[in-house]
Amino acid sequence: MKKIVYAVLGTLTGLVLLFSYRTSLEVVAPAAAGTPTTTSTTGSGSTPAGSGSATSSGTGTSTGSGTSSGSATSSSGSATSSASSTTASGLKDGTFTGQAVDTRYGAVQVAITISGGQITDVSVPQYPNTERRDEEINAQAIPILISETTSAQSAQIDMVSGATFTSDGYTQSLQSAIDQAKA
Amino acid sequence: MSVALATAGTFPASAAAGPHRHVRTAALMGTVASVHVLTDHADPEPTLTARIAAAQTAALDELHELDALFSPFRADSQISRLRDGTLRRADSDPQILEVSEACVCLAGESDGRFDANQQGWFDPTGYVKGWAVERAAARHLAPLFGESGVVAAGLSAGGDMQLLTAPGADWAWTVGIADPRRPGELRAQLPLREGAVATSGPSERGAHIVDPRTGLAVADAPTATVIAARLSDADAWATVAVIAGFDDLSWLRGAPDTSGMIIAADGRIRRWMHGVEVAAAPEAPLWGW
Repeated sequence: MKKIVYAVLGTLTGLVLLFSYRTSLEVVAPAAAGTPTTTSTTGSGSTPAGSGSATSSGTGTSTGSGTSSGSATSSSGSATSSASSTTASGLKDGTFTGQAVDTRYGAVQVAITISGGQITDVSVPQYPNTERRDEEINAQAIPILISETTSAQSAQIDMVSGATFTSDGYTQSLQSAIDQAKA
Repeated sequence: MSVALATAGTFPASAAAGPHRHVRTAALMGTVASVHVLTDHADPEPTLTARIAAAQTAALDELHELDALFSPFRADSQISRLRDGTLRRADSDPQILEVSEACVCLAGESDGRFDANQQGWFDPTGYVKGWAVERAAARHLAPLFGESGVVAAGLSAGGDMQLLTAPGADWAWTVGIADPRRPGELRAQLPLREGAVATSGPSERGAHIVDPRTGLAVADAPTATVIAARLSDADAWATVAVIAGFDDLSWLRGAPDTSGMIIAADGRIRRWMHGVEVAAAPEAPLWGW
């Protein structure tokens, strides 16, 4: 099974892109507990902090216990935060940009923002030119998890996507509230 | 471009400061459709207001018409008449043939995880809603961008949406993704300028999700959200993702242009971007094979 595991972060934790070619995508991120990583990063100001205590799940989520504070990330360059604290999830706050890596789609580079121990934003500073009109949206579009400890306010949400509600269920739905509040 | 991230409680004033929103809703297809048109002024010219209202009406009317054509729950729909043998496929509406061909393609691309003929007759219900919303948005909302002052337009039916933004407009939609385990709450949010978002899962409608390959209900079905350029694709792949289950993302090979998220019945989450899984993992190596 050929896969490229691409590490973005130079700290204890990393964002990995798991590619699959002809075989399976059912891969898990590898863990190498306790070993300081030498992953290259263009970011600075992020040093490996302590020994690895987080375990690898590879399931794509890190449910930190901290709350998530809003932060816009720029899609270029280096780490933008050094006032970091390593939380229970083992993720260090900041914005980190990985090296570009060659894939069958071309060179891909990824930046992530971590706040309160959770990945709050993912952006793609470099992505293959596909001449697609919608390149921009797909390059950026990944759902950003809302912390367990905060709940989104409908005022900042424009539309709600969820498993189909019935017309009865609509009246009690968040979408209904948005439609009424903004009509 | 990176879209500023909105997190709970940080800028509640965004709605007030943003563009003015014109909203219409209608009950159809067993759910409710919402059509939003955003203008940069709170009180656009009366001619523009009328133009927007007409486009919203036309979009919702088209959904009604397509529902009348495709609904298997209406005895007089062409889908029902095809099933009952009172209409020959060759005599059916060209849109039926278009959807039929798309369903055949999708069955192949999804390795049979999607099958409109699962019950022994042609029932494209799992495809039509997304296809119809995409079509109505393209035909009736996109032309609004020819009018000065229209910033964005979006059409959603039961949580599946096609969103558009005028070229050059300073706007991105913020889509909330419902938490399947906590009704009324959101699990994630998504900034999106243009594109489609669809979510499939077992919640609310309560219907059993049947794997067409086995004919059996999917146990512990996850909830999947798929982002794609077109809602017909997003909706169909969200259905495929649910049938494939939480542990199987191999279908992404057939859908490399999607991003999204899948939530297991027990709350675990996987996400992918442009067909590539994105995961946080401690101690990731520089390169690994």
